[in-house]
Amino acid sequence: MSTLELPRKASEGDHFVSTEPFDPGSAMRLTPEQERFYLASQWKLMWWKFLRHRVAVVSGVILLLMYGSTVVTEFLAPYNLHSRHTDFIYASPQRVHLFHDGHFIGPFVYAQTKRLDMTNLRRIYTPDRSEPRRLRFFCAGDPYRFWGLVDMSFHFVCPAQNGTLFLLGTDRLGRDMLSRILYGARISLTIGLIGIALSFTLGLVIGGIAGYYGGWVDMTVQRLIEIIRSFPELPLWMALSAVLPVTWSPILIYFGITAILALLDWTGLARAVRSKLLALREEDYTTAARLMGAKPARIIGRHLLPGFMSHLIASATLSIPGMILGETALSFLGIGLRPPITSWGVLLNDAQNINVVALYPWLMLPVVPVIVVILAFNFFGDGLRDAADPYR
Amino acid sequence: MLQYIGKRLLMMIPTLFAISLIVFTIIQLPPGNYLESYIAELEAQGESVDQQKVAFLREYYGLDKPLPEQYVRWVGGMLHGDFGYSFEFNMPVTKVIGDRMLLTIIVSFATILFTWAIAFPIGIYSATHQYSWGDYGLSLLGFLGIAIPNFMLALVMMYVANVLFGTTIGGLMDPQYIGQPWTWAKIKSVLEHSWIPVIVIGASGTAGMIRRLRANLLDELQKQYVVTARAKGLPPRKVLRKYPLRMALNFFISDIGSLLPHIISGAEITAIVLSLPTTGPMLLNALKSQDMYLAGTFLMFLAALIVIGVLISDLALVALDPRIRLSGGVAR
Amino acid sequence: MRGVLGVGLLLAMLIASAAFAEEPPSLAADVASGKLPPLAQRLPKTPCVVDIAWPGWATGRYGGELRMLMAKDRDIRMMVVYGYARLVGYDEHLHLKPDILQSLDNDGNRIFTLHLRPGHKWSDGQPFTADDFRYYWEDVANNKDLSPFGLPRALLVDNRRPKFEVLDATTVRYSWDEPNPQFLSALAAPSPLFIYRPAHYLKQFHARYVGLEKANARAVAAGSRNWAGLYQKVDEQFRNDNPDLPTLEPWINTTPLPTTRFVLVRNPYFHRVDRMGRQLPYIDRVIVGITDDKLIPARTGAGNVDLQTRYLRFDNYTFLKQAESRNHYRVYLWEKALGSQVALYPNLNVDDPVWRTLMRDVRFRRALSLGIDRHEINEVVYFGLGQESANTVLPRSPLFRPQFRTAWSAFDPKRANALLDAIGLTKRDENGIRLLPDGRPMELIIDTAGESSEETDVLELIRDTWRQLGIAMFARPSQREVFRKRVFSGKSMMSVFYGLSNGVPTPEMSPAELAPTTQEQLEWPMWGQYYEQNRRGGEKPTLPDVEELVQLYQEWRRSTSDDERERVWLRMLTIHADQVYTIGTVTHALQPVVVSDDLRNVPSDGIYSWDPGAYFGMYHVDAFWFDSEGR
Repeated sequence: MSTLELPRKASEGDHFVSTEPFDPGSAMRLTPEQERFYLASQWKLMWWKFLRHRVAVVSGVILLLMYGSTVVTEFLAPYNLHSRHTDFIYASPQRVHLFHDGHFIGPFVYAQTKRLDMTNLRRIYTPDRSEPRRLRFFCAGDPYRFWGLVDMSFHFVCPAQNGTLFLLGTDRLGRDMLSRILYGARISLTIGLIGIALSFTLGLVIGGIAGYYGGWVDMTVQRLIEIIRSFPELPLWMALSAVLPVTWSPILIYFGITAILALLDWTGLARAVRSKLLALREEDYTTAARLMGAKPARIIGRHLLPGFMSHLIASATLSIPGMILGETALSFLGIGLRPPITSWGVLLNDAQNINVVALYPWLMLPVVPVIVVILAFNFFGDGLRDAADPYR
Repeated sequence: MLQYIGKRLLMMIPTLFAISLIVFTIIQLPPGNYLESYIAELEAQGESVDQQKVAFLREYYGLDKPLPEQYVRWVGGMLHGDFGYSFEFNMPVTKVIGDRMLLTIIVSFATILFTWAIAFPIGIYSATHQYSWGDYGLSLLGFLGIAIPNFMLALVMMYVANVLFGTTIGGLMDPQYIGQPWTWAKIKSVLEHSWIPVIVIGASGTAGMIRRLRANLLDELQKQYVVTARAKGLPPRKVLRKYPLRMALNFFISDIGSLLPHIISGAEITAIVLSLPTTGPMLLNALKSQDMYLAGTFLMFLAALIVIGVLISDLALVALDPRIRLSGGVAR
Repeated sequence: MRGVLGVGLLLAMLIASAAFAEEPPSLAADVASGKLPPLAQRLPKTPCVVDIAWPGWATGRYGGELRMLMAKDRDIRMMVVYGYARLVGYDEHLHLKPDILQSLDNDGNRIFTLHLRPGHKWSDGQPFTADDFRYYWEDVANNKDLSPFGLPRALLVDNRRPKFEVLDATTVRYSWDEPNPQFLSALAAPSPLFIYRPAHYLKQFHARYVGLEKANARAVAAGSRNWAGLYQKVDEQFRNDNPDLPTLEPWINTTPLPTTRFVLVRNPYFHRVDRMGRQLPYIDRVIVGITDDKLIPARTGAGNVDLQTRYLRFDNYTFLKQAESRNHYRVYLWEKALGSQVALYPNLNVDDPVWRTLMRDVRFRRALSLGIDRHEINEVVYFGLGQESANTVLPRSPLFRPQFRTAWSAFDPKRANALLDAIGLTKRDENGIRLLPDGRPMELIIDTAGESSEETDVLELIRDTWRQLGIAMFARPSQREVFRKRVFSGKSMMSVFYGLSNGVPTPEMSPAELAPTTQEQLEWPMWGQYYEQNRRGGEKPTLPDVEELVQLYQEWRRSTSDDERERVWLRMLTIHADQVYTIGTVTHALQPVVVSDDLRNVPSDGIYSWDPGAYFGMYHVDAFWFDSEGR
């Protein structure tokens, strides 16, 4: 045990304080990575941690692509949403080939010849192997109104002149399934987003107020939350959807369904916010802010919330799949969206009967993007949640 | 403790009251009433309706009375144990629900057992072998269970089972056993039919449970006391079982309460698609045809179950977790 | 109506052979032990003979169990429809014949004398006599508690009541001052006017017979508010859900609600026999299973049924046909008897004055009709097997004329555009949509009751062709009740529904559908209400042709000869063809009928019609039989 030198008494006046400028770097040397790490903001740290979760990144990219496609749906889809082909009802999917008779001629499909089977009352389509129809890219196809504003007819891929391109088959009016699924993405994906935005706002505001003020405000909100959570989810969706007047325009019904889904969802978020706030408002920095005269809104918004915003975002992301599934289920049952709005749920509603399962199974394909989106959101949300607390 | 229970029970009353108001409003919101739907439906099929009978029924059921009066009649009836009359089935609501309850409970229990039986070992394995291939693979399966809409799965499985095994489509048993006393053949038929709904309904529940068990268990396994226990030489399995698992099971307990309404209402959409004689399809039809008392009473029943379930969960948590008791609040 | 049939010879034969006719094997045990009386005492003295003379029809054998599927337990009432035991009924040629009645005397459609069959018994063995009619008249129809709103409409002529008399134990008479042509068709309807009741059973629930207190006590014990409530619950001959209620139908329902499987057993006292004197029905039991309506085509295809048509749609045909040989059934296609599968109804009483003028302009309606490509609709929706047509009667009807079908039903957009120009709708907006006289774009909103994908598809096709006329069409689905309300109140400018419900009328059947008679009519609800409420509600028609239709209808009601009635019908149909009050699309749609391989006497080519016909009713389900032992 070495002898430690006690500091000399102050009265002996022997301090030495150097007047040289102090270089913190001399006390501790950091490698460039460490420096970047320590200097990085919270969001940057989250981003780096997120990147380490590979699956989440892939899911994120997929989601980005899907949402991106909703912006340029009209361009991507080979056909218009409503264009129908009377001669190609219930056509089976056409496969894309690259080699015809051994030669490479670019992507093409074989034309389909139709035969009416009058015994079974069935339309039979067989590919005509002698006639390759080359696909055109960046071409002029079905005219459409881009976002309802500009008349265009520019498509990414179109069928050959006088040809058809039914990559996923057609339905009972001869409408191309691929195009309908692409258009359906617009509705199905955005319902989730808008619904989450609504429910997020509601949850934040109401939970925040309850958590911050406490007292009877908190009790009322608690009761309200309890009442809403006491409703069985699906029956309430059903009941509320039945309430939407069918005479409303499709857009209004769309927002109505979104609102219904959101109204039942915000409680989870509100409770999380509330419990966190109840804890955090006892912290010193909150007291300090209050003493300095900050308004409650500012305290909640600027000081308390950012502490766990990341958690909130993660849990919000994990609620989106629930909303998408909810809308799909409601439309499938026939009490959500209805034609002419096209969402994946509406498309699946058409696929509900034995004819489809036995004879025209390609009509069930809208279930695939539903699965992909939900998987993607789940992985993405998982990644976000893991990244949400980078200091762990 | 008793005081706490008493207070909670007292607070249930205004909650239930508010719920009844909301339920009634929602059911009455769509225009028209049961009789008008009924008439319109018959007319859509080309049949005409005996107007006299309809007028009589309208007056008899009080459908021409103002809404507040109908509400008071309904709530008053419920307090007396008179849960109203189902127009569609032409019999008291309790009889309609009661008939379907047994099968609903059977299916739900089977599903829950299935879910727990599968989720448990998989969740534990996933947590203890984190980031292994098994973990990823099983997680993927779990996610698939959540992602595939269960109604599509039910639909396809139903037809596949018919083609492959000759199972009759829809329902919970072969038609000739309906209404017959229970024999081995009938039980066998019910088993043949129930594996589809159990798997379909269980799929999403299993996945959710696996993920939560895994997440909670992982949280616990990283805590200090686990390190200490290992360092002190406790065999790994005992380490797992004795402490972290119990903590992770917290959420099982808190979930028990919310299981109650699920048992009773039984996965509505899947039941609708598979045409099971359970309470789910009954509710949907009642809502669609505005069978006021049936829909309203059943919704109230479910809501009351949820409220009671929450209470039970809270009590269970308080009983099991001393921290909550001592800190004086419910941490969820 | 047709008077007494010439069945006298056969009857004599029958009475003789009844003594030697065999018992149905399923009843033999009960007869032997004495629980049931022997056949001769169970049948009426002169039973009704069922002898259908078309190829393939044969007298059959007893035995078997008929399986059917329905979607709601309410549908058990369909067994009363299929069984079709009526006082008078339509036969397979759509002629009215006495069925439960032995004979009917009709004096100018004013005085109807009904002769019952002596010895006819209810399904529990009690006699069916004039007392059952008297009970209905005095204690049900005229009882203030049970019928607070008066007599059924079919018993009233201009709101005046009939005179009811019991002449003897098997004869009753209804008389009116003015002719009541709807009386017989109401008795023969699939959902008929029941002017009799099983009095011996129902008296125990009636306050007049057991006393008010006892009746009320019984009702309260059973869960009803008062005795009238309980009575209405048990006295439901059509609803068919009370297993204790005696019936005259061929099969008796033995399963109470709630259930997903109804078992109906043969009625040992059923009044019909085949030409060998054997009591019908041939089939011992009928099993009606209840399942979700979406699953019925699948289960039918899996061979779970013996006779099925309800809830099968035309687009199920391919699937059903493919499974035919595997599952031992055949699929027939029957012709639906609707005037048009999907018809448009311009609302001549719409609120909006601009649209009202247009709807009432015949050129507009004709243009709309010319703007529909019926050929495309036929190809797309009906596989080309339908018949493009205006909304009119079918060729099977004696009243059919080819010009009714082709009137204004070609696809001629040029001519349609010319008509619209002639009306003055020449201005168009930048999208090519014509402008109404007040400047609004021509946006035609069609209300639908929302649940038929057939309607949606047809409307989709029509929308595209009307675009060529410069009309923008929107389909607005509603719930059914809302849909009707919108039409009545004038808020709906056009609606879509099926066409003429009776597409195979004979001159004796009522042309009420062709004139404003009820507010349920979607093309002129207010005018219909005017006549329905005896000029006290609604509006008086203003179009001369519609007024002529009203007069013609009155003429039909008062007419006394078939020639006169035919003349009236033809004139009414001509007016409709010319004025296009309703726009038809495709008719002769086909309805799949699945019949198990060993079920006989089901016509392969029948008419699928609700009224007249009662779907299977007029084809005598009681005479269907299974051609294999031991089922």
